[in-house]
Amino acid sequence: MRIADKMSESILDKISIDFLRNQVLKNAYGNDDTVIAAMDPRMLLVWYLFFGITPWFVNNIAFLIGCFILVAITTKLARVAGLVLLLFVLGVFSQTGYLLLVTLIFGGDASAIMPLLVLTLKVATVSLASVTIFSGLDPDKLANGLMWYGCPERLSFSISYAYRMLPLLMEEFQNVLLSYRLRGNPPQHDKFIGKIKYLAYQIKIIIHAFYPLMLNTAKRSRTTVEVLEIKGYRYAAVNKAVKKIKMSCMKISNNDLLFASLSFLWVSVTVLISTII
Amino acid sequence: MNVIEIERLTYSYPGADYPTLKNITVQIEKGDFLAIVGNNGCGKSTFCKTLNGLIPQFISGDFSGSVKACGLDTKENDVGVLAQKVGYVYQDFENQIVRPTVLDDASYACLNYAMADYKERGMQALKKCGLTGKENDYIWQLSGGQTHLLALAGAVSLEPEVLILDEPIAQLDPMHADRIYGVLKELNEKYGKTIIVIEHHTEYIADFCKHVMLMKDGEIQWTLPTDEALRRVDELQECNIFPPQVTIAAHRMQKNGMMSSDIKLPTTIEDGKKVFFKKSDAENIAAKPLNTDGQTVAKFEHVSVSYRSVKGEPHTVFDDLNLDIRKGDKIALIGSNGAGKSTLMKMLVGLLKPTSGDIYMNSKNVRTFKPEEMAKYISMVYQNPEDMFIKDSIGADISYSMQVRNIEESEKRTQELLERFRLTELKDRDGRLLSGGQMRRASLAIGIALNPGILLLDEPTANLDIATRKEIMRTLDDLKSVTETVIIATHDMQLVCEWADRIIVLCEGQVVYDGNRDDVFSNQAIIDKVGIRPPEIFSMGRAISPEMLCYTIDDFLRCFDGEGLTKCV
Repeated sequence: MRIADKMSESILDKISIDFLRNQVLKNAYGNDDTVIAAMDPRMLLVWYLFFGITPWFVNNIAFLIGCFILVAITTKLARVAGLVLLLFVLGVFSQTGYLLLVTLIFGGDASAIMPLLVLTLKVATVSLASVTIFSGLDPDKLANGLMWYGCPERLSFSISYAYRMLPLLMEEFQNVLLSYRLRGNPPQHDKFIGKIKYLAYQIKIIIHAFYPLMLNTAKRSRTTVEVLEIKGYRYAAVNKAVKKIKMSCMKISNNDLLFASLSFLWVSVTVLISTII
Repeated sequence: MNVIEIERLTYSYPGADYPTLKNITVQIEKGDFLAIVGNNGCGKSTFCKTLNGLIPQFISGDFSGSVKACGLDTKENDVGVLAQKVGYVYQDFENQIVRPTVLDDASYACLNYAMADYKERGMQALKKCGLTGKENDYIWQLSGGQTHLLALAGAVSLEPEVLILDEPIAQLDPMHADRIYGVLKELNEKYGKTIIVIEHHTEYIADFCKHVMLMKDGEIQWTLPTDEALRRVDELQECNIFPPQVTIAAHRMQKNGMMSSDIKLPTTIEDGKKVFFKKSDAENIAAKPLNTDGQTVAKFEHVSVSYRSVKGEPHTVFDDLNLDIRKGDKIALIGSNGAGKSTLMKMLVGLLKPTSGDIYMNSKNVRTFKPEEMAKYISMVYQNPEDMFIKDSIGADISYSMQVRNIEESEKRTQELLERFRLTELKDRDGRLLSGGQMRRASLAIGIALNPGILLLDEPTANLDIATRKEIMRTLDDLKSVTETVIIATHDMQLVCEWADRIIVLCEGQVVYDGNRDDVFSNQAIIDKVGIRPPEIFSMGRAISPEMLCYTIDDFLRCFDGEGLTKCV
């Protein structure tokens, strides 16, 4: 019983807002010294285009497994935060994985399993490729890469600004929730009914917390808006020279070429194997 | 040469019935270090926003007259062009940082104005502001003082002629505050920048500024050299500005004949040494000894705690902390920014669990409490009152904790609290829209709604102008009789000296000292180690006679005489 208590306590502790905030920051900026983070964002975006699209159109198991292994390696290289990986596993499982499991348990044969396995592999490969790019690259690099391909400046600014604001928002949210926790009076939750009531209470509090959250954030952003004006954000958006300066800091290095050729080689090998089988 | 030339400026905000700035004509000379003083709402910030063109270009409204900054008319030139002449650092400077890393933020404006050498400019600005070596840090790794320096660097990077800072040190501990002013002084003297600060802290004005401008009700009363300005004690106090304590003390001496009225009032401790003398019969009044036999209401036993960090090892805040808090204690918790004051408070209310060790509340382990049970024993008021407002009116906020507990007469008690904190007329307003002092009072009322035995206050006087601060200090004195045990975390040494019976000094996660005010403030080693800046009047007394401990101006007048004493007292 005590172990169970401890477990539930530590799990609750882990999904605190503080933990979420930490994971978001870790995800965005905590892995800027990895191999993936040092790559050129333009090259990675092309790379992503391939691994994000091709798997949907190929049904060959060997090829899919090959791709899956590759993106699994890149995900490892990108040192993606634990929470994101957990979400990935949950996502894949809720999409197709559970079907695969159910089929296995209820004695489905290979003919039923194969298509499900293919689908699961596809989803997993595409997701991991996305995770590598969007979590391995820091938001600014990603934004610059997108801008090179002609995405509007506003989009790229929004990406990096969102990452700048997110921790603030979560901190604010946490403070408001703490106020509820200190002053509120949640229902008793020792028995089963109580637990359900407690859950409902929690959800209610989270919804209520949005009102002060929004107002507090709005109050804070008044200064930010003025500062953006002073700092020339509006001028930069229409100034071609600024874009050029921003683009000039991206360079394709040997590492990028090496990474691209290794990926290409790997894919070719898997294609070769898949034709032999 | 004048960098700012204003003629007959009148301005009212959109929809306002009366003008915020009235018929202002003023010149500011190049190379000046000017302090703007005036009570809340007199138009100081509005005035400064007209200097960089935010008014009338970005914030519209009724604008007449002309403002020229470095020869450019602010009505005809873009905010962008003006920004390269006039830099602005906001009071809520953390909202001024828009980029995730230090160098990025410092060079962001230069990049936006398409300067090819934007990185070098950013580096230069960081160097001028003393942030070299931090270029690649993320902004959330910076302390409050460093964040302020970064906001300053962002403005400096464009190499403007004029720098405006709105209350630069309101949220900082004395060490960081000294550093900010050190940087400003260098920018002023070495790089010839014109500095304009909105400032309440007259000791800093006395030490650093060349001129003082007094604003009252949207008009400029006068601009005078600092010494002369600070000597106008009555006029300043009328506008809720409090001249340096040394000046006030001398002024009072002159009034009751303890000092010749021919003497020029001193504005700094150096000046003070020449005009004050210790009375032959002066004696210290010993501070109240620590209460050692009271019942222990909270106890830390071998507590260690660490935070997760984005990268690398968790950051340890406390390691093996032991502390007893006794019934009736009035504790001030002091230490520099980041010493662990807020962490200690969060652990006491159970918002943060220690990594190891135990905390006891009335001899019961805090781990066994549910958060809602804790509320009966202990309550906390945040540094940022906005976070306390979870309802849409302060009346509802105050009654919330009582209503959810179905406490009888919660209505009546809410009424009482509103009355006690003079909020009755404001009870239907949203807390966020109140003034600084009202917000603070509302948050105190929320904090004691459940009548807790222990009350924790995080920086209750930060960010307030001196008049509001005095008012809050009165409220805190009043609280002494309502709540048995109160702990205040603060940088405000006047508050510490006048209010606390027990002072706990934190430094790098350790309790380095625990004693009454005499113990702490006469201990030079501790003062130097932690970077405490005692109230000016205290330093004044000790500068003349090291064994004297005068915490307030009244103490000082009791122990010291002035030059040219005219009447025997």
